[in-house]
Amino acid sequence: MYIIIAIIGIPVFFLLMFFIIMYNTLVGKKNQVQNVYGSIDALLKKRYDLIPNLVSTVKTYMKHEREVLTQITELRAKAVSGSLSEQEKMQLDSKMGKLLGGIMVAVENYPDLKANQNFLHLQSTLNEVEEQISAARRAYNAAVTDYNNSVEMFPTNIVAGMIGYKRKAVFEIDESERKNINVNKLFNE
Amino acid sequence: MKTIEELKAFYDSTLKNDLISLEDERKKIVNKVVLLNILCGLGIGLCAVLFFIFSFFVLIVGIPVIILWIILYSKITKGYVSSFKDKVIYRIIKFIDDNLNYKPNNCISMQTYMSSKIFRRNPDRYTGDDLVYGKLGKTDLVFSEIHSEYKTQSRSSNGTTQTHWHTIFKGLFFIATFNKKFKGETYVLPDVAQKMFGNLLGNLFQSWNKGRGELIKMEDPDFEKVFVVYGNDQIEARYILSTSLMKRILDYKNKTNKQIFLSFLQNQIFVAISYTKNLFEPRLFKTLLDFNMIREYYEDLLTAVSIVDELNLNTRIWG
Repeated sequence: MYIIIAIIGIPVFFLLMFFIIMYNTLVGKKNQVQNVYGSIDALLKKRYDLIPNLVSTVKTYMKHEREVLTQITELRAKAVSGSLSEQEKMQLDSKMGKLLGGIMVAVENYPDLKANQNFLHLQSTLNEVEEQISAARRAYNAAVTDYNNSVEMFPTNIVAGMIGYKRKAVFEIDESERKNINVNKLFNE
Repeated sequence: MKTIEELKAFYDSTLKNDLISLEDERKKIVNKVVLLNILCGLGIGLCAVLFFIFSFFVLIVGIPVIILWIILYSKITKGYVSSFKDKVIYRIIKFIDDNLNYKPNNCISMQTYMSSKIFRRNPDRYTGDDLVYGKLGKTDLVFSEIHSEYKTQSRSSNGTTQTHWHTIFKGLFFIATFNKKFKGETYVLPDVAQKMFGNLLGNLFQSWNKGRGELIKMEDPDFEKVFVVYGNDQIEARYILSTSLMKRILDYKNKTNKQIFLSFLQNQIFVAISYTKNLFEPRLFKTLLDFNMIREYYEDLLTAVSIVDELNLNTRIWG
C-alpha cells in the first residue's frame, strides 16, 4: 500500500515543486517588467513637470517657435490628464521627445536665452531626465528580454503556456528620434 | 593630450640637461653600492667560514651584517630617489598638465581606498606613494600608487609560525568627480566567473556575489564579456553606464591591457588599475639617458590622467 503511494506520490510531489518554481520565476520576471515600466512612468512625469517652467522661460525669447511651444503645452495637458492607454502614452512620449529636441536645437539661434541662468538650469535638468528615461528604457528592454526568454525557453515555456503568458514588446527607437540624438550629441561635444 | 614627438622635444630641450647631472649622481651611487655589496659579501663569507668553527657565531655577526646592508643601502640611495622624483617624475607630470601637483611620499588614504568598496577585504598592510592631484577642466582628480595586502599565518611542523603576505591590490588607484549625480552604488568589475566557467555557470556564480547589490546585465555583449556590473539600482546603473560610457570603458581597458575595477559612489568614480611592477621608481643599474625609459614613465602617468578624457568626464551637461 505504502509502496504504491510512494510510487505515485513522489513523482507528483516533484512535479508540483517543479511547477511552483517555474511559476514563481515567471511571475517574478513579469513583475520586474511592470516595476521598471513604473519607473519609466515616474520619469516621464518628472519630464512633464518641467515643461510649464521651460515653456514660460523660453516663450519670452523665442519668436519663431511659438507654434511648437503651444503644441508642447497641449501634449503635456493631454499626457497628464490620465485617461491614456499604454500605447498612446508611448506615442505621446515619443512626439514630446521630438518637439523638445527641436526646441533645444532652436535655442542655438538665441544667444540671450543661452545666457539665461534659469534656462541653463532647466536645460541641464532636462538633459538629466532624458538620460534617465533612456536608462529606464534600457532597463525595461533588459527586463522584457529576460521575461521573453523565460516565456519561450524550455522548460519555463510549458508553464508560461499553461498560465497564458505571452511575449512582450521591447521599446524601439524610431528613425527620427535617432536623428535627434545625433544632433544633440553634436552640440554636447 | 600631447604627442610622443612633443615629449621627445621636451626631453631634448629641457629634461636632458638635468638628467646628465643626475646620471653622474647615479654612477657615484652605483659605485658605492657595488663597494657595499663587496664588503657585505666578504662579511657573510667570513661568517660561512666561521660557521664550521662555532655555529651560533653566524647569528651574532651575520644578522647585523644584513641589517647594516639594508640601512646603508637605503641611506645611499635615498637622496637619489627623491632627487629623481623631483627632477624627472615631477617634470613629466608638469609636462602633461600644469594644473597637476605631485607629492612623491604621499598616497591615497586607506579610508578612501576602503570607501571605494572595490576591494572589501581589510588590508593588514597598506603602503603607497606618488600622489598626483589637481583639476583638469571641470574634473577634480587624484591618484597614487598603492599596495594593499593581507596576511595569513601557518604553523610549520617544527612549531614556528610563518606569516605569508598576499596582495589584494597593487597598482594605480584613481578617483575623480563624476559628471552625473547619483545616489546609489554601482560596481564594474572584471568578469572572472564568466570567463572561467562559461555563460551558464558563470551567471550563476555572479548572482551569488551578494553585498554589492543585484547583478545587472548590460545590453552591450562585448562589455558583458569583459566586465560584470553590480548595483543597488539598475536604472541608476544604466544612467551612469550609458551606452557610450560602456564603450569608452571597454576601449580604455583594451588600450591599457590591464585589469581594471571601477566603482561609482558619492558622485565619484573610483578606478583601480592593476600593475605588477613598482611605478615611478628609478632603476639604479640602468642609464637615465634613455628616452624610452622617460617615455615609459610618461605612459604610466598618462594611463591614469587620460581617464578624464577617455571616459569623457569633462562633459557636464547633466543637472
